[in-house]
Amino acid sequence: MATKKEEKQFEKERKKARKERMKHMKEVGIEHFLTPEQIRYNRRQALLGSIWPIFRFLILFGLSFIILYPMIFMVSTAFRPSEQMNDPSIIWLPKEFTLDNVKDVWNIMNYTSTALNTVLLNLIASVLEVVSCSITGYGFARFKFKGKNLLFAIVTLMIIVPPQIITIPLFMQYSFGWITFLNGGDSLINSPLTMYLPALFANGIRAGLFIYIFRQFFRGLPKELEDAAYLDGCGPLRTYVTVMIPNAKTSFLTVFLFAIVWYWNDFYISSSYFTRNDTVALMLKNLDATLIQDLFAGQQVGIRQMIVWLEAGCILSITPILIMYIFLQRYFIEGVERSGITGI
Amino acid sequence: MSINEEIMENEILDENAAPAEETTEQQTESADAPETMGAEAFEQKLEKESKPVKQKGRNIPYEKRKALYGLGFIALWAIGTIYFFVMPLIESLIYSFNKTQPVNGEMQLEWVGLDNYVYAFRKDVDYTPALVAMLKDTALKTPLILIFSIFVAVILNQKFKGRTFARAVFFLPVIIATGPVIDIINGNMSTGGYAGGSEQFSSMFEANLVDELLNFLGVYNISDSLTEVISSVVGDIMNLVWNSGIQILLFLSALQGIPSSAKEAANMEGATAWEYFWKITIPYISPMILASIVYTVVDSFVDPSNDVMLLVLTKSSSWEHGMMAAMAWSYFAIVGVVLGIVVLIVNKLVYYEVE
Repeated sequence: MATKKEEKQFEKERKKARKERMKHMKEVGIEHFLTPEQIRYNRRQALLGSIWPIFRFLILFGLSFIILYPMIFMVSTAFRPSEQMNDPSIIWLPKEFTLDNVKDVWNIMNYTSTALNTVLLNLIASVLEVVSCSITGYGFARFKFKGKNLLFAIVTLMIIVPPQIITIPLFMQYSFGWITFLNGGDSLINSPLTMYLPALFANGIRAGLFIYIFRQFFRGLPKELEDAAYLDGCGPLRTYVTVMIPNAKTSFLTVFLFAIVWYWNDFYISSSYFTRNDTVALMLKNLDATLIQDLFAGQQVGIRQMIVWLEAGCILSITPILIMYIFLQRYFIEGVERSGITGI
Repeated sequence: MSINEEIMENEILDENAAPAEETTEQQTESADAPETMGAEAFEQKLEKESKPVKQKGRNIPYEKRKALYGLGFIALWAIGTIYFFVMPLIESLIYSFNKTQPVNGEMQLEWVGLDNYVYAFRKDVDYTPALVAMLKDTALKTPLILIFSIFVAVILNQKFKGRTFARAVFFLPVIIATGPVIDIINGNMSTGGYAGGSEQFSSMFEANLVDELLNFLGVYNISDSLTEVISSVVGDIMNLVWNSGIQILLFLSALQGIPSSAKEAANMEGATAWEYFWKITIPYISPMILASIVYTVVDSFVDPSNDVMLLVLTKSSSWEHGMMAAMAWSYFAIVGVVLGIVVLIVNKLVYYEVE
């Protein structure tokens, strides 16, 4: 196996050789070597090769602009004084640059504790969810048992049933069901257990999708791995921990990142079970109401007057996840390429 | 049968060869499958057999043992699903046939049969239009998102400078679009006055332009509805791009899975890029097209900010849980049936390399 560096070297040499061969052919007269169709084909390819990059750049540039447009808007408004929102001479660059909005929102959102709380909640829930979903996915991928297809149909159902259908009954269960013994008989509403418990039992946010991904991935691994482990006297659980998990590292990382992102962004499920604004997403969702209360002293103001603070809140809430993305995006993409998603 | 016997023999050999420590470990592990026998029986057996290196469960055939292990692996999920998914699902189905009244600590139910459903479809002024609009919207959007994301994935799969950056930008929606941020920014942009968000982009494709173009080509009279469709699509390009992050990711990973032998063969035969795309790329990524269709439909279907879901949520906040359940269930049933039909049709066209 050649390393990447060597492969690059080979590629260079190949290109050089091709160039020299081409040069030689041209000197002798190219029609001796190639049919007219081949010459035409080559010419067309060369033309395409020179024009296409320009088009590609234009397309990508335009689409990137559309994607980044809201981000640019966010950055542009979050750091300008509120009065300058109504200044018609300002479109993108404000006349002054201010951090006051961010500071205000930081205080209003109680950012330090909210963010810490959210990070803790996310990390625990995501880890639990990844572990439980991978175990389930492995069970579905590698064992034959009665009723497996039926059970897997339930997994598919988990993907397509919207959480809105089951929220109210779940709410009743959390507040009054026997499960409340975990909280000493009190309602589980507002307790982080409403996030941890489903995650622990492979029923967290989008768990169906994660089980599906893991199943696909484990199905793609060679059977010989387990046979070898079995012959060496490994029980199934140990096989899973010592043989399968190391092989599924990229898949784990990808699912973990997705889980973090989806837990971080979730506001529907958390708004159903948390009456306090304990997470960043919830805080942001209700920021306009909080702003009216805290900043405008209960006065009714339109969205327009609050834009700068809302946008500052947006910046605060996506910064942590953006930083994570910037550092991990390589793994994110590579992981998806190599993980089970490919095998769907 | 003979294979089974061979396996059994192997096991016996294995058992004799294995050191004592490892076998005890196996014993504790096989306790993961409590269904094999009652707990007491198991413990008695364990005591009886702890001295010799004979293992519990060895008298159960290998296949059966594996099935039990499998059940052990999914047990956690099965328990959780019963409590966190199946029970609430059934409960909400029951709600949908009842008039509900939350009274301290429980839901008071009063059986009304299909009344909630009848009301939702026949009397509620918002429900049916929202449902139809939602289905129409999804039917229009899904093919667009698919085409767009295949196109972008093919481009992002090529080698060029700045590819890492381009990929990072195109996957940005994946991490942001599911949260409240993008809704807020979109809302702000439309009230911001000077920058009408997506409208800015659509202004270059003003309705008149399409009209003029068609007239120029000698096509008259169909332009009205066509113009509407085109301008709604172009005006919505922001949402289109922002909703196709995951699909691009899926297609990109499928493109990476195309074996290089297929590429080389196509090159040798002198395939043009066009032929390569239709005869190599599309068949190879067709399973992923199916997956993307399902993902796109489900995603727009469960999105808490779509019209039907908003309606459902208003019912919930006005304490009409029975009505809410009926609406959500009929919505779910309709989308489920549509999705089923689409999957059945598309599945016929999908090319699987390994049968």
